[in-house]
Amino acid sequence: MQETGTAAITTAGLTKFYGEHKGALDVNLDVREGEVFGLLGPNGAGKTTCIRMFLDFIRPTSGSATVLGFDSRADSVEIRKNTGYLPGEFVTYQSLTALNLLQYFANLRGGDLKLARTLAERFDLDLTRKIGELSRGNRQKVGLVQAFMSDPALLILDEPTTGLDPLLQQEFHNLVLEQVKTGKTLFISSHVLSEVEVICDRVGIIREGSLITVEEVAALRERALTRVDIEFGDAVLASDFAGVEGVVDVKVTDHRLTCTVTGSIDSLIKAASKHTVNKIQSAQPGLEEVFLEFYTDHGDQESPDVA
Amino acid sequence: MLRNVYLKTLRDSKKSILFYSIGSIAIGLYVTLFYPTIRDATGFAEFIEQLPETLKALIGDAETYTTAEGFLNAEMFSFMAPLVIGTFVIIAGMAAIAGEEESHTLDQLLANPITRQSIVLQKAAALLTGLLILVVAMWIGIVSGSKIAGFDLSITGTTQALVSLFALGAVLGLIALSVGAVTGRKGLAGGIAAAVGVVGFLLDTFLSVVELLDPARFISVFYYFNNNDVIINGINIAHFSTLVAIAVIAVVVAVWRFERRDVFN
Repeated sequence: MQETGTAAITTAGLTKFYGEHKGALDVNLDVREGEVFGLLGPNGAGKTTCIRMFLDFIRPTSGSATVLGFDSRADSVEIRKNTGYLPGEFVTYQSLTALNLLQYFANLRGGDLKLARTLAERFDLDLTRKIGELSRGNRQKVGLVQAFMSDPALLILDEPTTGLDPLLQQEFHNLVLEQVKTGKTLFISSHVLSEVEVICDRVGIIREGSLITVEEVAALRERALTRVDIEFGDAVLASDFAGVEGVVDVKVTDHRLTCTVTGSIDSLIKAASKHTVNKIQSAQPGLEEVFLEFYTDHGDQESPDVA
Repeated sequence: MLRNVYLKTLRDSKKSILFYSIGSIAIGLYVTLFYPTIRDATGFAEFIEQLPETLKALIGDAETYTTAEGFLNAEMFSFMAPLVIGTFVIIAGMAAIAGEEESHTLDQLLANPITRQSIVLQKAAALLTGLLILVVAMWIGIVSGSKIAGFDLSITGTTQALVSLFALGAVLGLIALSVGAVTGRKGLAGGIAAAVGVVGFLLDTFLSVVELLDPARFISVFYYFNNNDVIINGINIAHFSTLVAIAVIAVVVAVWRFERRDVFN
């Protein structure tokens, strides 16, 4: 789909065990340059484990990760030079003011605070206060600012909008879109499905350390379920709709049809048009419902026709 | 002060360095200003002669004790100065790597393009800088105290004793840093370094009286620090080199293990 052939992140059989407990199991991932990739999974699924291996905080038990063309073990400094990182919970020096912290990190990176100040203004962040005195949301803002301030080629954001109010989440989404326009790659982990749906090109789903599937968001949306509720001018029969493409869960009560549609609702609309339609309602297709099946533990027979 | 890890670490401990320096000067002054009282006291030599062996191991014989250098050796260098310096360096060593790790700030520091080796070396350098400031403060306290009290004191001997004290501090502090870098555990780092200090002290003083334990004093850091009574006899190059070697090994192990292990979050 994407024109860009180079990969921003590639993993080969990436595996991490913490003693007996598995953190990540044989993860094979390809994040393309210039895309927004979402890694999705419940808490404890292995998202943070993968991210911390990309940045060399922890070392793979086996397998390898290549980030921006560099091996995560051998050339970690090169990777970190060009990567902005926001952890799941941004914890840092409590006694420093936000400005001091940003100054320190800018110094370690050999950069300045120009972009940081612009971002702080944009997120309405008071830089003079101590980190330890900031609310969770404001601390998260400092985390975002420090991740973006060096204008890195790759951004690795672990649960980035945790603690941000909806307005700031919107601002964050705008920021992500701007980054994409300038060719940045973003790797975002989340357990909030609606979040990745809005900003990601592709998502990978991870559960119990294993990457279950990677799909285009558009393709997933095609598979998304839509709940449709139609009120007709006359009485209809369930059998009129039972055979229509993509339609399941057909229920007819007198003038009224409720059903669930997978993918396009075109066939259903065409079938319905044979009758007088008084009212039609459809629930917004959310990825939640598509993903629900990945999350629910139904043995080993999952991964419905991976694209 | 936020230019690099070294300066940031010093910045974090500036209050601690300030208070310990004031304390170091005060102790230097206190011991030296107290000396004339002991020197001029009558019957003190007889009193010391009657002390049990274990206590004599601590303060030396009476003849030496009443000289300025002997007095400082017993009152300053056998216990008080190592205690002050040891406390400072062990706390600093615990905080260096394990402290950052336990307060969850290490991940974010490591997210910057900086090698783990560089972090360890800069942290070690900051610890040694703080230690140096304390030792210099102690020197100022002792030397000015002797001037105020108006007695002759060997400046060379005092300086050499403080150089040896610096080496002891480096060993204890860098062991704490090293254990923290290897394990990521602050409590363990402090515990092991303190044990090295306390056991070393006991082996070289009270326990050295126990004949069975006497050979064990060679594993004591205090033996290498001041068994030679540095302020009186000058620095023993072999002993001093041993301390330096231990300090270097501690740093090498810290770098080697810290580079190869997972960082806790």
